[in-house]
Amino acid sequence: MVSGTFVEAPPLALAGEAGVRPASRETGRSRARRLAPPYLYLLPAVVLLVVWTYQPLAQTFVLSLHSWNLVPSTPMEPVGLANYEQLLSTPELGRSVWRTVVVILGMLPFTVLIPVAVALLTRRVRGRAQGVYRALVFAPMLVAPVAGAAVWQWLLDPSAGAVNRILGTDVNWLNTTGTAQLAIIVITGWHVAGFAVLVVTAGLAGINPDYAAAAKVDGASRGQVTRWVTLPLLSPTLAFLVLMTVLLSAQWTFPLIDTLTQGGPVGSTTNLYYLLWEYGFRSHDAGLAAAAGVLFFAGFIVVAAVLTRLAERLSHHDD
Amino acid sequence: MTLVSRIQLRGLTRRFGAVTAVDDVWLDIADGEFLVLLGPSGCGKSTLLRMIAGLLPPTEGTLHLGDTDITHQPPQRRDLAMVFQSYALYPHLSVARNIGFPLRARKLPRAQIRAKVAAVAETLDLTALLDRKPRELSGGQRQRVALGRALVRDPGAFLMDEPLSNLDAKLRAGTRAEIAELHRRLGATMVYVTHDQVEAMTMATRIALLDQGRLEQLGTPAEVYDRPASVFAATFLGSPAMNVLDATVLTVDGTLSARAEDIDLPLGIDATMPDRPVRLGVRPEHLTIAPPGEPGIRAVVTGVENLGSEEVAQCRSGTARVAVRGTRPLGVRTGEALTLTARPEHLHLFDVGSGRRLTWQPGAVPAAV
Ligand SMILES: Nc1ncnc2c1ncn2[C@@H]1O[C@H](COP(=O)(O)OP(=O)(O)OP(=O)(O)O)[C@@H](O)[C@H]1O
Ligand SMILES: [Mg+2]
Repeated sequence: MVSGTFVEAPPLALAGEAGVRPASRETGRSRARRLAPPYLYLLPAVVLLVVWTYQPLAQTFVLSLHSWNLVPSTPMEPVGLANYEQLLSTPELGRSVWRTVVVILGMLPFTVLIPVAVALLTRRVRGRAQGVYRALVFAPMLVAPVAGAAVWQWLLDPSAGAVNRILGTDVNWLNTTGTAQLAIIVITGWHVAGFAVLVVTAGLAGINPDYAAAAKVDGASRGQVTRWVTLPLLSPTLAFLVLMTVLLSAQWTFPLIDTLTQGGPVGSTTNLYYLLWEYGFRSHDAGLAAAAGVLFFAGFIVVAAVLTRLAERLSHHDD
Repeated sequence: MTLVSRIQLRGLTRRFGAVTAVDDVWLDIADGEFLVLLGPSGCGKSTLLRMIAGLLPPTEGTLHLGDTDITHQPPQRRDLAMVFQSYALYPHLSVARNIGFPLRARKLPRAQIRAKVAAVAETLDLTALLDRKPRELSGGQRQRVALGRALVRDPGAFLMDEPLSNLDAKLRAGTRAEIAELHRRLGATMVYVTHDQVEAMTMATRIALLDQGRLEQLGTPAEVYDRPASVFAATFLGSPAMNVLDATVLTVDGTLSARAEDIDLPLGIDATMPDRPVRLGVRPEHLTIAPPGEPGIRAVVTGVENLGSEEVAQCRSGTARVAVRGTRPLGVRTGEALTLTARPEHLHLFDVGSGRRLTWQPGAVPAAV
């Protein structure tokens, strides 16, 4: 009789199969060469940012602690926080903040509501008509604000303007405290609405059409599809537009205010940016303007942070 | 309410510019049927399904549900449920809200929606996932949610566009069985798109085989497999595909046989007819290795593939390739010369020009040669 026994199959010799484990030591030089490329690619952008954004920012901060009349031959006088104290004690600041809020609220229909409605309604435009339509919508954005302002000034003329004639009114739009702000908002809105429509259209194009198709098969009416599927999926785009509006509205109005109302009548169109500009380049008080700039910068950082946080909470990663 | 969910496609055609994606398709889908739309990629399956769902208007033809013409009805009013190839789960809604969506659109009371969603989630084993968002789910879980969204509403018919294509082999087998079981339990009409022949063979009550937008064959899985209507149908189903060889039907000693330089297979028909070139089809599993000297297909083995339980011998006969499939081991080696035979009932003949199946009709006078 032959005796024997069962032998268990040995476990796979992985190391043997895969060869020798690679040495993990690496010289400092080769490590640097491996890690450097991403930073090198970033370098040009970082340099531009530093030269054109961060350096002026730092200079502004320094300037805000000095008194200076913008004349190169007069020396800058350090005054500590005096500029800030002066700024915070003037009632103009509070009023201009409130006017800025009004401008932002007044701009939202032009940057969000109207563009969403237009983009949704014209989604089915195709082919050559689509190009023409987009060009039409976008055209005001290409008109230089100052040129646009000149035309609007003419349209809003109290005696011969087309606006009064069409509305059958005789309002002196740009020289009445109530209507000047409204005119500025509407004209700025006319300028930027086309751009916002394009942004919304791009956002809509980025939504997989299967979602709307699924909702239709699921029995949702057209309105329900828009409310329950399209708009929620568009919310990142909408959040972006709101953010742009809040941060940039006052800036967009600047050329129009400067051409049409110069902040008047009675300061009724003087918002933050115009106030800042007046301090710096009308009153030649560079320190005060810089202090205002620093304050606005800080304020907008807070607003932007809150809005970005909100936008992130809203957005759904569509995958 | 009686469910009248018989779906009729009458000459449905859809063109995209110069491309005819669906070409004059006539189909009568009975109530409770599990119809599988099968065909290679780009043959128009999704286009056909989207037309049935109402997401794409047909260029020509009409569509009927029960007795009503629904060609111009919007998808909302068709009462069909669809599972998309991409699942199309609403990314901003939780699993529960995804499944409940069709009920919400129908304005059912909230409590009722919650109860129905819970019941569906229970059957699909999704209860633990109800609060998750689609992006937090695996492919198989998403597939079940998509299925749940269709099942929650008891529709006239289910349309499914390759719902299993994103799943791994094991999950696919499991879900395949689940869907088939679901169909048995609900008795609902299903139109199911796939390019996977295993899915088609195992689940379908009937298969509609499409090629370049045209309906190539319609029949039960057994009919389509056993009596393919054309060379396309013959080679589309089966793995490896059916062998198709050029041959000529000759009358020898009062019986017909298919001949070519390396082929000599009796067709088992005692009759005479003029010689006729044909395409001869025989499935790999119907070929057997015959003793040398017997009539059959002379071939040389070029390789042997191991499928686990079976083996496939890839052979060359003249310039044609022939595959033989059988229980492992087949007992052949690369380079070996073989004679392969098949029973007459396993031989398929196709026309050389049209590729359509040829059937024997005794007594018919052949048309002028
Ligand atoms: N919107 C469209 N515009 C132009 N051509 C299209 C469009 N949709 C489909 N086609 C064409 O119609 C044909 C059929 O497409 P379809 O999506 O129905 O194929 P399919 O059978 O579902 O393929 P797959 O198995 O790859 O999903 C293809 O040739 C495709 O290129
Ligand atoms: Mg498809």
